[in-house]
Amino acid sequence: MRTVIHCNFDLCTGCAICQMACAQVKTGGTNPRSALLEIKKEGLIYRPEVCAQCQNAFCLQVCSFEAIYRNDENRVLIDAAKCTGCGLCVEACQINMVSLDQRYKKAIKCDLCGGNPACVEFCPTGALEKITLGGNAGA
Amino acid sequence: MPDGYMNKFLFVDLTSGHSNAIEVPNWLRDYFIGGKGYGIKLLNDLVPRGCDPLSPDNVLMFMAGPLTGTLAPSMRACVVTKSPLTGTLLDSYFGGSFGHEIKYAGYDGIIITGRAAEPVYLWVDDGRVEIRPAAGIWGMGTLESNQAIKEQLNDRSVKIAGIGPAGENLVRFALISCEYNRQAGRGGAGAVMGAKNLKAVALRGTQSVQVFDSDAFLQAVKKGYQELKSSPDIKALTDAGTASSVPFANEVGVLPTRNYYDGTFAGANEISDFGQSKHLWLRSEACPGCPIRCSKVGYIRTGRYQGTVSDIVEYESAAMLGSNLEISDIKAVTYLTHLCDELGLDSMSTGGVIGFAMEAAERGLIPLEIEGQQIKFGSPLAAEKLMQAIALRRGELGRLLAQGVQRAAAELGSDAEEFAVHIKGLETPAWGPRGATGIALALMTADRGGCHQRGMPLGEDLSGALWNDEPVDRLALTGKGEIVIHYQNYLAALDTLVKCDFGAFGIQPQTYLELYQACTGRDLGGADGLQQLGAKIWNLGRLFNLREGLEPQTDTLPKRFTQPLPSGPCQGHRFSPEDMQVMLQEYYRLRSWSADGRPGQEIMNKLGLSDMQTMSITT
Repeated sequence: MRTVIHCNFDLCTGCAICQMACAQVKTGGTNPRSALLEIKKEGLIYRPEVCAQCQNAFCLQVCSFEAIYRNDENRVLIDAAKCTGCGLCVEACQINMVSLDQRYKKAIKCDLCGGNPACVEFCPTGALEKITLGGNAGA
Repeated sequence: MPDGYMNKFLFVDLTSGHSNAIEVPNWLRDYFIGGKGYGIKLLNDLVPRGCDPLSPDNVLMFMAGPLTGTLAPSMRACVVTKSPLTGTLLDSYFGGSFGHEIKYAGYDGIIITGRAAEPVYLWVDDGRVEIRPAAGIWGMGTLESNQAIKEQLNDRSVKIAGIGPAGENLVRFALISCEYNRQAGRGGAGAVMGAKNLKAVALRGTQSVQVFDSDAFLQAVKKGYQELKSSPDIKALTDAGTASSVPFANEVGVLPTRNYYDGTFAGANEISDFGQSKHLWLRSEACPGCPIRCSKVGYIRTGRYQGTVSDIVEYESAAMLGSNLEISDIKAVTYLTHLCDELGLDSMSTGGVIGFAMEAAERGLIPLEIEGQQIKFGSPLAAEKLMQAIALRRGELGRLLAQGVQRAAAELGSDAEEFAVHIKGLETPAWGPRGATGIALALMTADRGGCHQRGMPLGEDLSGALWNDEPVDRLALTGKGEIVIHYQNYLAALDTLVKCDFGAFGIQPQTYLELYQACTGRDLGGADGLQQLGAKIWNLGRLFNLREGLEPQTDTLPKRFTQPLPSGPCQGHRFSPEDMQVMLQEYYRLRSWSADGRPGQEIMNKLGLSDMQTMSITT
């Protein structure tokens, strides 16, 4: 079983509350630019982009320091103590969901807020949904 | 400790090209809070007495508040300047992301003075400020230039506030279009920007807004969300924006029709949420940080205007460009609203000006035709030609009408004064006041001229809301002063934070107080504190207006509203000069103003405005 955030782009209003809530919880201040998820404008719609907690995670594969690991609930997490801030994982993620925290010089990514993601909690329309998939990492 | 503020203004002098960051003085922050408070105080301090609003000396300010850019629901920012339309104070509020980005770029406000020698735009990248040539962009529409600047800066995430051809050509009711397609619409701030040769301000900010007590703040935010979610008024806005006010205003008989001649319109349903949702809307859109999502995006699918991407035509535009011009084709009204946005014209004033022109043509006071189109009520093609002529100041009609209703009527002579619908130069909003005395009083006393956002008691006058647990008589000439003053003060206080009007329909006063307290670590002093703060700002605004030549006898209604309404539930109702005086004298007395509408020393002392420090800026 794997918990991920599912995006219903058809319900997204572009309000950026998900990003502001993410930034508030993760950095202690709001600026959508420092959120760990993105909203992309495509034609007449907005499309949220969130970490997929990939079963085949490039970020995890390229880390030379074993700082990126998968926990019991199949969340892809970063061990800040082991992270050197080299940035290989940032380059590796093809959907730009890993970034480098400018203050601490460590890689950061969505950790689903320990299981209760703030973006989902604050989303006013249900555009972001926490769902459990049957996929089995490494299978 | 963090307190939601960035504690700096960016000051830019376009004449010298010099810019610098200025610390926000503690006294200013403590006494005026932000947004409207900062703006009105700095108008008094920084605008030279009697200055021409279109001269380099006028000051153009973009002001955020302590809650702007935070997770507090539905927050905005404002433009404050001296209006070229009224010659008095102008504060115009805008949603979207530009206001938040002011904070993220590191500022609580941007203060612009002077005039660039050539067309320019301002590029603020965090603390780095650059004045760039706008030669290739000058002349473009608001949305077109938004794209062009992003291409020049090679970043789609830049947030821009800019003007269209109307602002460039100093049309006195030109708007500023704020990221994305959210208008600081009223009062001609776009012309002030155009007079400074300033096409746009582009921002990119990476700083974050930090609050005093994060846990308490999140609790207050959640409370605000809950209040919005449980409010029936907010549900109506979520479902249909303000477009659903069209049939409401029609039913109660205050929907402007034929240049405010009448108050009901046969085509009301077609231009309301009913017609719009059927023909146009596809999905909801929201400003950053707003769960209400009053905006409705779609496109015109067939016909003459096919392919036009549409936003909701909110109540004011639907009424002013629809019923007021007797146009009931919703696609045409949508297109005309879009054209106003792109040309950079305030759709409300434009509807007022074109309604005036259509009546003037009917009465033979101006030519009957423009570019092959007969100028008459019901003609969207004539409205389109008039808009283009106004924005480009093309031809004699374009020149005449670009000045707004007041100046155009003055040129056309006394016959035109009979149907010139404006208050203090600002074309009135789409709430014809006949049959609703509280609305009339709010319009007469609004601090920026004919405005619907300064304490109009719509609920009390028109839909049965109680005041002090008692129903309110919509026709009563007394008892409205207290209600109007309460709302004027309350809303002025919230405009320091800076609230959205719609959010304030659901979020309770106590929650705003808690948001402010958790954000800043300071206290606004409860509901009384909000009244006191609002009163301070209101009185200071009045002093500015008087200083700039406001004549208190212009606290009045247009002549049109002294004539009986021909139809609808308010049929026969009108305001006599005596009616207006009864209401005004009660209002002045409750404001502790003199009988001729001037704040005296006593109220100034009481509000702590007598020995107030002043701010000066030297570069």
